[in-house]
Amino acid sequence: MPLASYETSVPVVVDDAKCIADKGCTVCVDVCPLDVLRISDLTGKAFMAYDECWYCMPCEADCPTGAVTVNIPYLLR
Amino acid sequence: MSDPFEAYDDLDELDDRLNAADAGERRVAIIELANSGDPGAVVHLDRMTADPDPGVRQQAALALGEFDGPDAAAALAKLVVDPEQPVAHAAADAMAELKDPASADPILPLVSHSHAFVRMAALRALKELRRKDSLKPALDALRDVDASVRVQAIGVIGFLKLEESIPALTSATADVDPHVRRAAVSALAFSHLKPAAESITRALADSDWMVREIAAETLGTNTNGLQAADALIKALADEFWQVRLKAVRSLGKMKVTKAVVPIGGCIGHAQANLRKEAAAALGEIAMPEGRKFLEPIVDDADPEVRKNARWALQRIAANSATGS
Amino acid sequence: MAMDQILDGLSEVSCDVLVIGGGTAGPMAALKAKLKNPKANVVLLEKANVKRSGAISMGMDGLNNAVIPGYATPEQYTKEITIANDGIVDQKAVYKYAEQCYSIIEELDSFGIRFLKNENGDYAVKKVHHIGTYVLPMPNGETVKKAIYRQLRRARILISNRYMATRLLTGTDGRIAGAISVNTRTAEILVIKAKAVILCMGAAGRLGLPTSGYMFGTYENAANSGDGYAMAYHAGAALANLECFQINPLIKDYNGPACAYVAGPYGAFTANNEGARFIECDYWSGQMMLEFYNELQSGKGPVFLQLNHLHDDTISEIETTLHKVERPTRGLFHEGRGTNYREQPIEMHISEIGFCSGHSASGVFVDEFARTTIPGLYAAGDMASVPHNYMLGAFTNGAVAGTHAMDYADNTDFADFDAADVARERDRVMAPTKREDGVPPNQIEYKARRLVNDYLQPPKVTRKFELGQRRLAEVRDDMENRMIARNSHELLRALETQSIVDCADMAAHASLYRTESRWGLYHLRTDYPEKDDDNWFCHTLLSKKDGKMSSEKRAVEPYIVPIADDEKDLYDKQRIRASA
Ligand SMILES: Cc1cc2nc3c(=O)[nH]c(=O)nc-3n(C[C@H](O)[C@H](O)[C@H](O)COP(=O)(O)OP(=O)(O)OC[C@H]3O[C@@H](n4cnc5c(N)ncnc54)[C@H](O)[C@@H]3O)c2cc1C
Ligand code: SF4
Ligand code: SF4
Repeated sequence: MPLASYETSVPVVVDDAKCIADKGCTVCVDVCPLDVLRISDLTGKAFMAYDECWYCMPCEADCPTGAVTVNIPYLLR
Repeated sequence: MSDPFEAYDDLDELDDRLNAADAGERRVAIIELANSGDPGAVVHLDRMTADPDPGVRQQAALALGEFDGPDAAAALAKLVVDPEQPVAHAAADAMAELKDPASADPILPLVSHSHAFVRMAALRALKELRRKDSLKPALDALRDVDASVRVQAIGVIGFLKLEESIPALTSATADVDPHVRRAAVSALAFSHLKPAAESITRALADSDWMVREIAAETLGTNTNGLQAADALIKALADEFWQVRLKAVRSLGKMKVTKAVVPIGGCIGHAQANLRKEAAAALGEIAMPEGRKFLEPIVDDADPEVRKNARWALQRIAANSATGS
Repeated sequence: MAMDQILDGLSEVSCDVLVIGGGTAGPMAALKAKLKNPKANVVLLEKANVKRSGAISMGMDGLNNAVIPGYATPEQYTKEITIANDGIVDQKAVYKYAEQCYSIIEELDSFGIRFLKNENGDYAVKKVHHIGTYVLPMPNGETVKKAIYRQLRRARILISNRYMATRLLTGTDGRIAGAISVNTRTAEILVIKAKAVILCMGAAGRLGLPTSGYMFGTYENAANSGDGYAMAYHAGAALANLECFQINPLIKDYNGPACAYVAGPYGAFTANNEGARFIECDYWSGQMMLEFYNELQSGKGPVFLQLNHLHDDTISEIETTLHKVERPTRGLFHEGRGTNYREQPIEMHISEIGFCSGHSASGVFVDEFARTTIPGLYAAGDMASVPHNYMLGAFTNGAVAGTHAMDYADNTDFADFDAADVARERDRVMAPTKREDGVPPNQIEYKARRLVNDYLQPPKVTRKFELGQRRLAEVRDDMENRMIARNSHELLRALETQSIVDCADMAAHASLYRTESRWGLYHLRTDYPEKDDDNWFCHTLLSKKDGKMSSEKRAVEPYIVPIADDEKDLYDKQRIRASA
């Protein structure tokens, strides 16, 4: 069966200007229980790679620079 | 394939990275030092308390929160006086997690610091450490100009549970600040002697309802609380139902028989929480006089009220059957 | 390396005690095992990262069931749990928990975990229930995991993050031999040989589909996909009372606890649309959920958490806890909806179904030493059968499991296992990565969980269950033969989907076996609406026999804390009967 991709707006936003992933930080990626954050090869910053979020907050709470904002996933709002 | 286990890092290698020119890289090294869990990391972190970058110092404060003992405390003591607020706040929170009584040594001098925030943070940390030599500075701090400092001082004194501090706590129940008065009443709960009960009883007439509420609640736990029965009965007419509710509960707990009628008077109150507690208290006191208040509410629309009423009636029945 | 690329690799390690799941029970089990024998190797394997994994990833706002001297006694607690669980309780394990939990609180306190204290330093225990006083708030509880992680590092426990366990290995002699796991970012396989294994993989929380339709908007931490239940089943262990589903009251759509245990002691309560209380039942139980369900279905729904009668200052106090700890996005959610505790009541609903002993009674069967029916295999926390034990139960029984497992490991050697078992499991795990074409796991998972809602959610109807089983079998066929995983992250979801479908099958099988109604809404069967103590005053044990799912009865152990008839009656009389 052929596959199609499906657009979704993700709940977690990273402020690239604040993110220090390019200095070696991986804290948010490390702590996420659902393992849905990654560091982008393109920008060198963290981003939400998969829309599978428990809106639980460790990523935001543990980010050393306050770069992460967790929003309520759209379907629940 | 890579090692499946989290590394127990090499501290020296991390120490090198603490010298990185880039502040972000220094922060990352600090995060790894914190993760190491190795108490040997503390000396390295201590070095970072003098870092020129406030973000790095804040990270150091968070990292130090992962450790305990006088060395970690000494490093935190340097950061809690930091001019940058986020750094000082992170250090204060980390200090509050210390558990090793020896951690008190570097913190004690901070109780007389010129900034109220530092004094408050120091006392907050000392509370959990329960060291006897923090009593004197805490008693002095009861005269602090800042109310949040006085609140924390009361905690230090209360946690130590020393009868000798009753007079000081008693005068604190007359403090100008209601938060201080609340804390003082709660702290007095450790003493079951008369003087404590007396000052808590006086607090039942406080101008602030939350002070009255905690006083009404605390009296129920005091073995001399019975002497406050009349004052508690008076509190059943308090303008705040929250205060009445705690008074009802304490009177029930202490099985004050003369309170049956006044408690019965609360049964008609609009606030279902209060009606429920009143029913329960009548059951605890278990006097036949309670029946006439309970019988009309066994089928109350509120399930909590009717449940407690039924339970109370059973208690009364059981009590009169055994004749006790 | 490209993101989540699939690497083919397999390695093997061995240890004395392997703990699987580093949420709540797991870290405590690992710590106690290590303290019992500091020379031994203890491995803690975790699908996520121990630092922030599991139900308590952002802390908890309180202990629901603390048995603290002066406030409650082990006897009283055991009685309450027995009654709340309709009598189907092996009391020994409950009693043991009740006796030991206070020392665990003190230990947690010494780790730097902050419980609410009065200004005299005593724990500020709150009364929520009618009889005992069990609730100890943790307004600053967000640092729980941090504090425990600290202890693990100090004890030099070997921590393996981002490894998902997929199957247990059993020895040729029937003893436990270890487990197989897969790295969730590289798909490399790690085989861990162990003398004893402790399962702490939490609830089966991704079984039903939340009403929001968002697959990860579950009540439970969505990483808890029921892998532990599935693994225990495939290893041949018995699972107890799986028909006693978990269903919880919560904030509608947000799907997190509204938190009666936080707000209750301050005077908040659950009310219907007339603002009136309607819950009769005292303890969190299936009976309470039935009352909740009935109200929702009646003209008196929706149901609300009512706080607007409280004083402004009181509400502020409640908010600081609710919006900082446990599910800290609660505040954000309310803000988005424009709801304020001061003005409007909060709309509530009931959760999707799941398995969980922490809140209910469905779990891998264990005795009072946390032993399962397989020698050397232990279980603790939400996935083990000790009922209603919540967070403190996970810590306490985790401690029990850790100590006993190390004792066992110290007196035994590695069990031999068949190398073909590893090869077979590797093929099974990797199969979705070998297909060129097929259905991605998110669609299979969605469909399976949608079927769970349509057919398995109580009230349970036999005919619907039979249809559900048929539909689920079709999904299973797709899953086993057509599911694809194009990177290692998708493989993680594919493997979780297999646990979810296994759990759905078990939920259906166990529910059909018990031909009576019990535990209020949890096992409300419309074709058997009455409780039938003559035939069903027993546990049910589900296990794999000759490759097939089978159920049997098991007698309830004689009570050690007797329940007088009038006590049962007193409780019963206050209840709304299901059939009324
Ligand atoms: C939202 C919420 C609120 C709650 N509120 C309270 C409360 O206020 N008070 C209270 O006492 N209790 C509360 N509870 C219950 C309590 O949190 C749980 O009972 C307890 O934490 C369960 O501990 P556990 O170790 O069994 O599971 P968890 O802590 O969930 O840990 C399970 C772990 O296993 C890991 N895992 C899962 N599958 C695998 C696999 N295949 N391989 C490796 N690892 C795996 C998971 O990632 C997770 O870390 C609440 C629960 C929830 C969900
Ligand atoms: S934790 Fe913050 S700084 Fe670090 S990678 Fe994530 S977003 Fe960037
Ligand atoms: S909110 Fe939780 S699940 Fe979502 S990205 Fe952050 S840590 Fe991960």
